[in-house]
Amino acid sequence: MEPLDEELEESALELPSEPMQLNMGPSHPAMHGTVRIVLELSGETITKADVQIGYLHRGFEKMCERGTWTQCFPYVDRLNYVSPMLNNVGFALAVEKMLGVTVPERCQYYRVALGELARICDHLVCNGAMAMELGAFTPFLYCARAREIIWDIFEEETGARVTHSFGRVGGMANPPTAAFKDMVRAGLPRLLYMVGETEKLLLKNRIFLDRLEGVGRMSKEDALSLGWTGPTLRSTGAAYDVRRAHPYLVYDRMEFDVPVGTTGDNYDRFMCRQEEIRQSARILEQALEQMPDEGPINIDDPRVVLPPKDEVYSTIEGTIQHFKIVMEGVKVPAGECYSYTEAGNGELGFYLVSDGSGTPYRVRIRPPCFAAVAGLQQLIEGAMIPDVVPTFGSMNMIGGECDH
Amino acid sequence: MSNPEPTPPPPPSTIKIDGREIPFEKGDTIIRAAHKAGIDIPHYCWHPGLSVAANCRMCLVEVLPPPGRPAMQLDILRWDPEKKEYVPQKKPKLLPACQQACAPGMEVLSESSPNVDEARGAVQELLLLNHPVDCPICDQAGECRLQDYWLEHQRKGKRMHQEPVHKPKGVVFGPTIVYDAERCIVCTRCVRVSAEVAKDPVLSIRERGNLGEVTVSPGRELDHDYTLMTEHVCPVGALTSSDFRFKARVWFLRSARTICQGCATGCNAFLDYDPRNNTPYRHRPRDNEEVNKYWMCDEGMLSYKHATQHRQTGALVGGEDASLADAMRAAKEQLQGLKDDPERVAIILSAQHSVEDNFALLTLARTYIGASSFFVSGKPLGRGDAILMSEDKNANTRGVMSLVAATGAGGDKPEAPRPIEDLVKGIAAGKYAYAIGLGADVEVDAKELRSALSKLKGFVVIAAHDGALPRAARVVLPACAWTEAEGTYVNKKGLAQISEKALRPLGDAKPGWSLVGELGRALGFATSWKRIADVRSGMPAEVLVKRPGQAEAEEPAPRTENQAPAAAPAS
Repeated sequence: MEPLDEELEESALELPSEPMQLNMGPSHPAMHGTVRIVLELSGETITKADVQIGYLHRGFEKMCERGTWTQCFPYVDRLNYVSPMLNNVGFALAVEKMLGVTVPERCQYYRVALGELARICDHLVCNGAMAMELGAFTPFLYCARAREIIWDIFEEETGARVTHSFGRVGGMANPPTAAFKDMVRAGLPRLLYMVGETEKLLLKNRIFLDRLEGVGRMSKEDALSLGWTGPTLRSTGAAYDVRRAHPYLVYDRMEFDVPVGTTGDNYDRFMCRQEEIRQSARILEQALEQMPDEGPINIDDPRVVLPPKDEVYSTIEGTIQHFKIVMEGVKVPAGECYSYTEAGNGELGFYLVSDGSGTPYRVRIRPPCFAAVAGLQQLIEGAMIPDVVPTFGSMNMIGGECDH
Repeated sequence: MSNPEPTPPPPPSTIKIDGREIPFEKGDTIIRAAHKAGIDIPHYCWHPGLSVAANCRMCLVEVLPPPGRPAMQLDILRWDPEKKEYVPQKKPKLLPACQQACAPGMEVLSESSPNVDEARGAVQELLLLNHPVDCPICDQAGECRLQDYWLEHQRKGKRMHQEPVHKPKGVVFGPTIVYDAERCIVCTRCVRVSAEVAKDPVLSIRERGNLGEVTVSPGRELDHDYTLMTEHVCPVGALTSSDFRFKARVWFLRSARTICQGCATGCNAFLDYDPRNNTPYRHRPRDNEEVNKYWMCDEGMLSYKHATQHRQTGALVGGEDASLADAMRAAKEQLQGLKDDPERVAIILSAQHSVEDNFALLTLARTYIGASSFFVSGKPLGRGDAILMSEDKNANTRGVMSLVAATGAGGDKPEAPRPIEDLVKGIAAGKYAYAIGLGADVEVDAKELRSALSKLKGFVVIAAHDGALPRAARVVLPACAWTEAEGTYVNKKGLAQISEKALRPLGDAKPGWSLVGELGRALGFATSWKRIADVRSGMPAEVLVKRPGQAEAEEPAPRTENQAPAAAPAS
C-alpha cells in the first residue's frame, strides 16, 4: 500500500498519544470492599497499576477510644464482616492478655469451634465470590447454601446471623446452647458435601482453570517481605499458620494440617482455602469431642464479667457490679500488648495501649488483608485486564478490615 | 507532761504504711498522716474536716506490735470447709486508722494484710446487707463509696436472702434536704457537720443497729446555713439535695474549678455542668485550707444558678433588643463628646466582675480617655456569719479597691473608688456628663439612680446580669458571667484566685474585658486585647499577689486538693 502523502515526515503521521488509563472501582462489581485500581494500559496489558484503598474508612481505631473495652466488640465485628467471630475472639484474647486472665477450658473450646465455623464461612465466601466473578454462578450459590448452614448455627448460638458481637472480655456473651454440638455435627457433612460439589463444578472447567493457573504468581520471598500471612502466604509454600506457630486457646491439642501451595498463583490460593475448609472441619470435630458439656464459660472475676441479670435486678451487689462494668468499663491495667490470632485472611493483630482506665487509650489493628492488598500491584502489572478480577478476588480484601 | 530537763533529740516522726515510710505531725492519726501522704485508706465516716467517730470500721488496719512485744490476738472461730466445722483460731486485733494516733516508728499494714482485707470485705458486706437496689434511681450513683468499695474490697454476691429491713424513704428534712433511711449507713457525718461546722446540732441518730437512722430534732427542720454540706459529706445517697435530686447523672457532668460569687469570702468551688446542653447543675466545695477548708454555705452552693438566671444575653439600645454591632454604634454616638471633656466622665467599676474586666475599663478610662472619677458598684451588704459568709456580697470588692490604688497617681493617700451615692450627688451637681459602667447591681435605690443617670448625655453599661445599672443605661453590652470566661477574683483576705471557664457564653455575651476593648476601638482608641493574657500583662503585680504582705516566694502551696493556680503570672 502506498503512503498517503510521501511529502510528509514520518513522525507527523502518528497521532499524539498517551497510555490509556482505566479506573477499576471504587464502585465496580468485582471490587468488593470498595477499592480503586487505576490501570495504565497498553492494549489489554497492564503496564502500571495503582491500588488505592481507603474508600471504606470509618476510623475504627479512633472509635474504639471513645467507649469502654467491651464496647469495642461491635466495632471489631465490622472489621472482617465475613468472619466476625474470629475478630471477636482475637480482640477478647488481646484484652485478656493485658488483664492477665485465661478463660475457662470450656470457653476456649467454644471459641475454637465458633472460630473455625467462621473461618469456613470466610473461605466459602471468598472462593464462591471469586468463581462468580468469573461467570460461574452456580458454585457461588452452592457456597452460599453451605454458608447458610453455618449462619443457622450462629443464629442459634448468638441470636445474630452476621455481626454477632458475641465475644466478651473474660468469656462469651452466653454459654453454648444445648443444640450446639448436634447442629454442628449434623451440618458439617452436608457442608463438606457442598464444598465437594463446588469443586466438581469448577476444577474440571478449562475456562476456570485457565484464568487461575499461573496467573497472579507470587514468590515465597516476596510474599514474606510484603508481610503476607494466611492462605495467601501459604499458597506460596511458606507453612506459617499462627495456630500452629504460636498456638493460642486449645489449638495445641488439635490435629490438623497446614496446607501449602507451590507456585503462589490464583489456583494455589483457591485450593489452599478449599483445603483449609476441610482442616477446619477436622478441628471442629475434635473441639466438639473434647469440649466439656458442663462448667463455667466466663472467668470468675467480678471486676471483669457481668453478673447474671436476675442478680442485677434483685441484689445491690449485682447492681453495683453491673453498674461499675457498664458505666466505667473493665479496668485494664496500664501497659501495652500485641496479641495476634489466625483470622480468615491471616494474622489479625491487635496492638493495645491502656492507661489503666476503662477506656482504651489506643487500639491499633494489623489487618491481614492490608498486607495482601499491598502486593496486588506486583501481581497484576504485566497481566491482562481480565486477570485483575480473579487475582483481586483471591486476595480476599475486606474493606472493613482494611480500614486505614 | 512537761519535762524540765533538756529534751533529747525527738525520735524520727515517721510511720510505715505497707512498708512505705511517711512523716506525721504530732497528734496525727494514721489515716490523716496517710491522707497527707496521698495514701488512700478506705473510709466512710472519717472526714478531714470533722471530728473522729470511728463507727464505720472501714479503715481498720493492722498495727504491728513494737519489737519484742506480743501482738494483740483475738480468739476466733473460723469455718473449716474440709472439716465442715468451726475451728478455734487466733487473729490480730485490728485498729481503726481514723482514731489511732501515730507513734514514731509505728508499722501499719493496710493493703498488705490479709486480715485487713477480710475485715474490709466483711464491713462492706454488712453495710450492703439491707441496702436497697437503688443505684439506677440514686443521685449518688457514679460517685458512691458503696459502689467503689464493693469493687475494691468485697467483690462477692449476696449471702443473706431474707427480706432486708425497710426504713423510711423520701423524708423531707428541710427546705433543701431529702433523706432516704434505707440507703443510710449511719456514719454520722451529717450529724457532725451540723454540730461542728454549722454550730447547729439539729441532727442526731435514733435507734441502733439495723434500725438506726438520722433524725431531725423534734420541732425543728434542717434549715441552718450549711444544710447542703450534710448532703456533700454523705458518702452514699442517703441525703440528697432537693435542688439536684433527679436532675442529672453525674457521669455526664464535667467540673470546672471556679470561685463562688456569692460573697467576698471567695470559696473555692467546682461548678458541675453538662457540656451537652451547656447547663450548670450544682456547686461542690473545692478543698482550700486557706479559704473555705472543705465547706460552702447554702447561699453559695445555690449561687451557681446565677450563671443562667436573670442574664443579660443580648445588647440593648434604649431598652430595646439590638445586635452587638448596632449597640456599639449607639455607644459611640452616646459617648461622642467625651474626648473633649474627660473631666466630666464617670467610670463605674464593678465589685462583681473580675480583676481583668475592671482593669480593662480602668485602662480605657485612665490611659485613653483621661478620666479620673471612679466609682464602684456592687450588691448591698447582706447577712454574714462567723463561719464563711461575708456581709459583703461581692466577690471582687478588694480586687477593685487595690486595682484603683495600684494604678493611681500614688502619694500618701491611696486612691479608692467612691461609692455610687457620690455619683448620684455629683450628677445632681452637674459634675458629670458621661458614664461608662460595669456590672448590674448597685447599693442605692434604683429609682433615685435612674433619675440621676437620666441627666447624663451618654451612659453605656457592660453587664452580665439584669439589674439597676443596665436598666438605667441607654446602651447595654452583654458580658459573660463568671462561668463563661476565665477571671481573677480577690477575696476579702486579699487572695487572688482564678475561676475557670465552664460554660459557653449565652446569647451574644462576650468577656467584659473584650467588650471594653471593642468599645475603646469604637471610640477610636487603640485598645487591642485579643486574649486574657494581653489584659493581664499590663496588670499591676501587687493586685495579683497571693497573700497580702507576703513576698512572692516560689514556695509550694500547702497540700489542698485541686487548688487552682492562685496567682496569674504577671509578666
